[in-house]
Amino acid sequence: MDFDGDGEEFSRRVQVRFITKLQPPFKVPSTSIAIPSNLTRMGLSAIVNNLLLAGNADWKAEPFDFLINGELVRMSLEEFLLAKGISAEKILEIEYVKAVAPRREEDPSLHDDWVSAVDGSNPGFILTGCYDGLGRKLDKIWSCFKLCQLNRIWKSAGLCSHVLEGHGAAVTSVSIIKPKGLEGSTDIRVATASKDKTVRLWKVDVEGSSDHSKKVRAYKILPGHSASVQSVAAKPSGDMVCSGSWDCRINLWQTNELDKGGDLVSIKKRKKGDGDEETQLQGESVSTLVGHTQCVSSVVWPHNDTIYSASWDHSIRRWDVEMGKDSLNMFCGKVINCLDVGGESSSLIAAGGSDPILRIWDPRKPGSLAPIFQFSSHTSWISACKWHDKSWFHLVSASYDGKVMLWDLRTAWPLAVIESHKDKVLCADWWRGDSVVSGGADSKLLISSDISVQ
Amino acid sequence: MVELKLSETGSGAEESEFSENEQEIANTSGGDDVSTGGVEHAPQDHGVTDNGDFQQEEDQNESDEDRHGVEESDSSEDEVAPLNTVGEVPLVWYKDEEHIGYDITGKKIKKKERQDKLDSFLASADDSKNWRKIYDEYNDEEVELTPHETKLIRKLLKGQAPHANFDPYAPYVDWFAWEDSKHPLSSAPEPKRRFIPSKWETKKVVQYVRAIRKGLIKFDKPKEEPRVYHLWGDDSSSKEKAAHGLAYIPAPKPKLPGHDESYNPSLEYIPTQEEINSYQLMFEEDRPKFIPKRFTSLRSVPAYEKAVSESFERCLDLYLCPRARKKRINIDPESLKPKLPSRKNLKPYPTTCYLEYRGHKGAVLSISTEASGEWIASGSSDGTVRVWEVETGRCLRIWELGEAVQHVAWNPSPDLPILAVSAGQDVFILNTGFGNEEDQKRVKVLLHVETHPEPDDSSQCNKASVVGWAQDARHEGVRLKHFKTVSSVEWHRKGDYFSTVMPTDILLAIKAILIHQLSKKVTQRIPFKLHGLPVSSTFHPTRSVFFVSTKKNVRVYDLLKQKLVKKLETGFREVSSIAIHPGGDNVIVGSRDGKMAWFDMDLSSQPYRVLKCHPKDITSVAFHRSYPLFASCSDDCTAYVFHGMVYSDLNQNPLIVPLEILRGHTSANGRGVMDCKFHPRQPWLFTAGADSVIRLFCH
Repeated sequence: MDFDGDGEEFSRRVQVRFITKLQPPFKVPSTSIAIPSNLTRMGLSAIVNNLLLAGNADWKAEPFDFLINGELVRMSLEEFLLAKGISAEKILEIEYVKAVAPRREEDPSLHDDWVSAVDGSNPGFILTGCYDGLGRKLDKIWSCFKLCQLNRIWKSAGLCSHVLEGHGAAVTSVSIIKPKGLEGSTDIRVATASKDKTVRLWKVDVEGSSDHSKKVRAYKILPGHSASVQSVAAKPSGDMVCSGSWDCRINLWQTNELDKGGDLVSIKKRKKGDGDEETQLQGESVSTLVGHTQCVSSVVWPHNDTIYSASWDHSIRRWDVEMGKDSLNMFCGKVINCLDVGGESSSLIAAGGSDPILRIWDPRKPGSLAPIFQFSSHTSWISACKWHDKSWFHLVSASYDGKVMLWDLRTAWPLAVIESHKDKVLCADWWRGDSVVSGGADSKLLISSDISVQ
Repeated sequence: MVELKLSETGSGAEESEFSENEQEIANTSGGDDVSTGGVEHAPQDHGVTDNGDFQQEEDQNESDEDRHGVEESDSSEDEVAPLNTVGEVPLVWYKDEEHIGYDITGKKIKKKERQDKLDSFLASADDSKNWRKIYDEYNDEEVELTPHETKLIRKLLKGQAPHANFDPYAPYVDWFAWEDSKHPLSSAPEPKRRFIPSKWETKKVVQYVRAIRKGLIKFDKPKEEPRVYHLWGDDSSSKEKAAHGLAYIPAPKPKLPGHDESYNPSLEYIPTQEEINSYQLMFEEDRPKFIPKRFTSLRSVPAYEKAVSESFERCLDLYLCPRARKKRINIDPESLKPKLPSRKNLKPYPTTCYLEYRGHKGAVLSISTEASGEWIASGSSDGTVRVWEVETGRCLRIWELGEAVQHVAWNPSPDLPILAVSAGQDVFILNTGFGNEEDQKRVKVLLHVETHPEPDDSSQCNKASVVGWAQDARHEGVRLKHFKTVSSVEWHRKGDYFSTVMPTDILLAIKAILIHQLSKKVTQRIPFKLHGLPVSSTFHPTRSVFFVSTKKNVRVYDLLKQKLVKKLETGFREVSSIAIHPGGDNVIVGSRDGKMAWFDMDLSSQPYRVLKCHPKDITSVAFHRSYPLFASCSDDCTAYVFHGMVYSDLNQNPLIVPLEILRGHTSANGRGVMDCKFHPRQPWLFTAGADSVIRLFCH
């Protein structure tokens, strides 16, 4: 690609200097060069790759994204400068980062039924929840969990290592309980919510053999909701979970086992066919947050003392856990299905619902409750949205139009669109910081990996 | 003497002028010895100098005349001092004297010697300039007129301006720069009289005022308005005609001919052959009346071909001309439209379809939403009843009933998750399996208890019963066997009673509508006589009132008092569906001729509004439970959403605003949208299509 040759034809040229925060193999010499002003991102990326190739003979081409004054370039350089009113006379400093787009797609791991929930907060495995049971006898609707453990990342497909069995209806939400200071522990505790009106807590030994999927029973059943539980979230400290339900309430539960906790529990003995007895604890909710008037579709517990909840009554609330009262009540006019809190100092609220617009609010902004960002490239309901846990800018969203989109707050266009799902996408999450896992109504769990988010 | 001193000292510019005068005077006066030391006087006497100057000049002139005669004679007489010093006395007195006066030194001024007449005559005859010479008797001298003076005299004689250099026709230079007017009539400033009130006018006004006061001037009396008028009179024509004969109607002005009507228009006006051919395809009214043609000369223009036909038509017009003059009402049709609020202010309402519920194999005939809005149930012509999850579009349960499912209805009570389904001649009460364990227990009890012991007993002991209650083992429910096809099932708000409608012929009409009680498993007929074929029935949302719609009318019965409360006359040929406003006082009725009627029960038994919007049959109408919305769906594959606001103020009529046309369904076997239901809590509309799809329209 001889850009200098092409450049003769272009009348306008811009003096630019490429800078980056990337590590040395990605660094280009910081001399300023003149480039044609009608280049788009792709052209800029080709230039940077050429520069890198000049310094390093065995360089492999890598897509880059470009930032000018903290905004991603999504049109030709000339238009961008014109639109932002940046002078083309001075030497322009263009920061480049690795383009945020999946470079590889793992083979989808097939489930028996719709994949309705996914949690990728543990880098060792992916936790998915699934609709299950309609294929079986009507009197025995049950659902299973798959705890897919990937031995190696690049293995072609994930193996199902554990099946958490016990829910009587579709699983709606899953969450890994991560107690602080126990990262090294192989015993992972997991909370799941289901349409059978219960929340169940499970204990999983990750180190277990992965040849065949091991069946696990819940150690604690939390039946307190009078309708389907839509969402479950664990407290960062790990000793409590909260759940939102169709009965308009948010219940808080203790996660500890019988010997540790002092809360009211009852032991439910259950006889299995072969005679051995199993004990399962039943817990009651510690407290209930009442205020929503319709189904609580999503709960998030980002800090130990605050819970965010979204509801079909068109409101997003922030609850003070100690007080049990809502300290913020945002009305947004649409049914909200998914909610996540993250971004800048993990205080931005991203939510999507019954329209194709992903909205982001800043509750710290005084005065107005208007969303500060609106992303509207989807064409149907948004079913999931998640902030990247390291980056302030990156979001993933899933929609019923079968697309998973990656977003950057610095541009209104999606960074990447994953269109591998054949049907509605019901859930999506980040995994290991550089992959997106998504599950949908085509019963597939997709892992799109090698996404370079700084 | 002071003056002389002055001039001698030579102060300023005057010095040069007066220096010679001084010498002359010195000469004439014979040289007065004047001291030159008068310098110190000069400033004080300066004020007098002007007068002195003039006198000096006169003196100088005198002395000049002595020498040069009358050179400067154009000045006034005072300046040219006469030689004669006798004064203004008749010269006759000096007739015989030698002298005439004395000069300043006291010597006699001698008269000139008299030439005798002959000499003077001869001299004048010799002298060519004699004609210029005039004898001045007073000064006793002969004056010769200079050519300048003669010219002056000549000009005077002609009546022209005497001065030679005066140009009477000099170009006019205005003293004021006029901006606007190039040709000012007068450049004079505006006279003052224009700014002050006219005295003459005031006098005249005063005169009139006095005359009016005295009664000399009389006015016309004001016309008396007729206190009554002919209410039904044709004010347009009859009176005027009687008064003035036929009123004059000006002929309409014909349009002036343009270039295209010329006998030789330029080429761009001539239509091409293609265009002329295309005129043939137009309607006769739309065709252009005149097609431009070219002729080389005026002579070759043929006679007007339509002359005969047009004059015939004109005759027809005259013959058929109406003799009455009709006034055209000039009203903007826009202003006649009722003022409706903007759609934007009436949000939220369903607009876009985001979710589809696919799975049925046949037309979806009926849908019903669960009270919380988490699930919907649908019945289809493929014989299945399905329950769907609203949020994801997932089909949760399927019941195979074998016969086309006409109607499904969720129990309105939130803790009784059961469905009433009509399929063929049977009505099934199905347990959906939702709800918590207690609910399930209650439902089991409700659907279980009496079924197997006495299906026959119940029918025997209750003679009115025309329905067999039976346990349905296959579907874990209750089966009510009717004797005719059941078209609709409706629950009472408390979830214990439900009504079924069998559209049968008139003879059996008394049994056509049955009310069942689930808890006691009892069936009873409604104790009213129906007039016409029943179509559907509904319970009042709050009171114990029962609505039955027959093909033409809607009858409202009070179940407690067991009597007819009201009869709503729709005026339609065939009513298809009915929905009650959650307030209970307003009813909408959809008909098979595409019209929908809104009844305000407090107003009258006639419809408050009839909305005609669908070109085909309306299949279903629905009210929203909490939002002021209602909808209708039709076989034309559309659903209409309306804003229907009912005010608690009895004086205010309901406000009905059409909001949105929802499209998306496709036609199948000539049927379009079969049913529509609102989500119980969201402003969303479910529509069930004959294309076996259920759609959810969201706001």
